[in-house]
Amino acid sequence: MNRLNLASLFFGAAFGFLFAAAGFNQYDVVHNTLLLKYLDPFFVMGSAVATALPILWLLERRGWHTPLGGPITPRRWPVERKHVYGGVVFGLGWAITGACPGTTSTMAAAGSVLGLVPLGGIFVGIFLRDTISERQPILRRSRASEPAPATEGV
Amino acid sequence: MFDLLPVPAPWYIVGPLMGLVIAGMYAITNNHLGVSGAYVQFVDRARGRTIEVWRLWFLGGLILGAFAVAVLAESPQLGLGYGRLGELLPLGPLVGVLFLGGVLLGFGARWMGACTSGHGLSGCSTRSRGSFVATITFFATAVGATLLLHALTGGAL
Repeated sequence: MNRLNLASLFFGAAFGFLFAAAGFNQYDVVHNTLLLKYLDPFFVMGSAVATALPILWLLERRGWHTPLGGPITPRRWPVERKHVYGGVVFGLGWAITGACPGTTSTMAAAGSVLGLVPLGGIFVGIFLRDTISERQPILRRSRASEPAPATEGV
Repeated sequence: MFDLLPVPAPWYIVGPLMGLVIAGMYAITNNHLGVSGAYVQFVDRARGRTIEVWRLWFLGGLILGAFAVAVLAESPQLGLGYGRLGELLPLGPLVGVLFLGGVLLGFGARWMGACTSGHGLSGCSTRSRGSFVATITFFATAVGATLLLHALTGGAL
């Protein structure tokens, strides 16, 4: 087993433990949060970002060399329309199921069988969106009736 | 199972520790913590693309960690429970609603490139502008739609 996989297992376990300890794998907790009746999850997320942000800022500024992945390169996305469109679709799914992607598998891990249902839906949703983004360059090409530039997968 | 851990645990303990996990994973592996990226690997595999194996190990850990909490604490949704939504809907319609909601989650997460963890937690922590926009959008949509569901069901949900 290589060290990257082992480290990922460790951080996954720590994250899954905290995620479930916060109650994020329970419908009622998530639903009451989105109803703005129970606000602690906002504080969990806010304090997590408030902790990680300055550490990452400092590591990047100092040119930190990570033991398993070379120089640190925090990932950033420029603002694009897809963040709004995707966010709206995602937000609707979140409101309906009371689950985000992390909720579904941790729900199932806690013995909640129905957590597997939205998880199955997530795979289908990813596959559908993936199919559309695969086809888009072809559509654009036929509209412009000239070869499309190489596009990277979204 | 044993009621040794109060769930939800206090936010001022869980939140900062979560932040340390996000920053720690970057500091050690230079990888961006996110859950939906692990699910994407299965679709990539089905399409014959190269996959990021570490993401599957991360997912395995996520499941183990959540299982540990289920052992230490009470599991209110054990079996076929699904909270208030489960009390409101019979099993058949519930499964249909949850599946369709899941499709929206997967579609939206793939579209915006990450989910609540990858944009909301890690992306905001790296000061990613796209993540700020995505996070504000999905939170506003989810809160608005949930309040609407609450009103439409006469407060039952």
